[in-house]
Amino acid sequence: MAKKVISVVKLQIPAGKATPAPPVGPALGPTGINIMNFCKEFNEKTAHQAGLIIPVELTVYQDRSFSFILKTPPASVLLKKAAGLEKASGEPNKSKVGKVSKKDIEEIAKLKMVDLNADTLEAAMRMIEGTARSMGIVVE
Amino acid sequence: MSNWVEIKVKTTTEAIEAVSNIFYEAGVAGVVIEDPKIYLRPKDQSEWDYLDIPEGLDFEVAQVTGYLPEDSSLAERTQVIKERINQLPNYGLDIGKGEIAVTTISEDNWGEAWKKYYKPTHIGKNIVIKPSWEEYKPKTDEEVVIELDPGMAFGTGTHETTMLCLEILEEYIKTGYTVIDVGCGSGILSIACGKLGAKKVLAIDKDENAVKVANENIKRNNLDKCVKAIKGDKLQGIDFKADIIVANIIADVVIDITKDAGFCLKEGGFFISSGIIKDRKLSVIEALEKNGFDVIQQFEKGEWVALVSAQASISR
Repeated sequence: MAKKVISVVKLQIPAGKATPAPPVGPALGPTGINIMNFCKEFNEKTAHQAGLIIPVELTVYQDRSFSFILKTPPASVLLKKAAGLEKASGEPNKSKVGKVSKKDIEEIAKLKMVDLNADTLEAAMRMIEGTARSMGIVVE
Repeated sequence: MSNWVEIKVKTTTEAIEAVSNIFYEAGVAGVVIEDPKIYLRPKDQSEWDYLDIPEGLDFEVAQVTGYLPEDSSLAERTQVIKERINQLPNYGLDIGKGEIAVTTISEDNWGEAWKKYYKPTHIGKNIVIKPSWEEYKPKTDEEVVIELDPGMAFGTGTHETTMLCLEILEEYIKTGYTVIDVGCGSGILSIACGKLGAKKVLAIDKDENAVKVANENIKRNNLDKCVKAIKGDKLQGIDFKADIIVANIIADVVIDITKDAGFCLKEGGFFISSGIIKDRKLSVIEALEKNGFDVIQQFEKGEWVALVSAQASISR
């Protein structure tokens, strides 16, 4: 039997710590899936990544069953890692807190290309580079 | 009940990652991303058989939503989020509409939404889980009806791991047994034990809210004389020996519990461990054997495994 999709929800939440509190509850409540079940499965599958934010793509089917796929970390996390930063700049227009190379941008863009829904590598790189600069990270 | 503020940003696919970062910097715990381009992906990259693309969906508008608790720093944090999003074009990102909508939502909105899909469920031979807000008349005298309002606690009876435990308990519980339920959540398993004839059940959870919900459910089923939920960390400090220990949690926690399970089990007792994803089955079995248990029965449902073990010296 074909599994009919009624919605695809993308969330970024802390590994191993999903609860029905926002953003999970308000995002999934209207889909009618059992939120606790999702939290339990997500926490089980991400327990070993504690401390990281994990993007997850959740597909809800017509019978209110669901499946989900874990994705690579958010671009901002990868950029901070590449620049060796704990935290991004609070005032990116004034204070620059780190730098990454064009090559770093390209690598992150390649890694995230599918998740970003970018049509071309150039488009993905533009997204990553813009994100970097908005975090006070200089691209050289 | 605390209120939350929902901040919804209408932007483009290009700016999603940068907008998400602004939310994280402002202290949100996570974000919801709605990117219509997801529906345009080639089919071989996804698992969908069939999808109705919502009518009138604008593929150029992506949404990022974050939530902040309503407190004294809210106005300032919201202002910073707005300012920083409006600056994104300076960094070469197209923010599209860049509209920001702020609405207050109350906590119970989402806690209730899925309830309407939660109906009386038959599990195992005779167990029926009845949501407290549903009407249900038992079809036979043998039916064991558990009335439940899971609130925000885990354990609604519809998850494979809980079903496995209920089926096993139905087979293993004998009248007069004592039980320890580690990680009791809504109390569903403890209540089932009480209804199946256990004379004393100790339910333990580290989450205060779960303990509260469990005790409410125990009372709802008129079992407060023999079933009790307390706050605790696994089996630490438990000075009580039971005929059955049931732990429906996750593989890592189950492995941890195997160390203490022997001390809390009567001679000839059983340790039921569940919440184990298939990939982790062998590491749980290894931990059980290392701690003097023999796995005597294995059950599987979907991706999940439950194990019944007995102390090695007894089962041999």
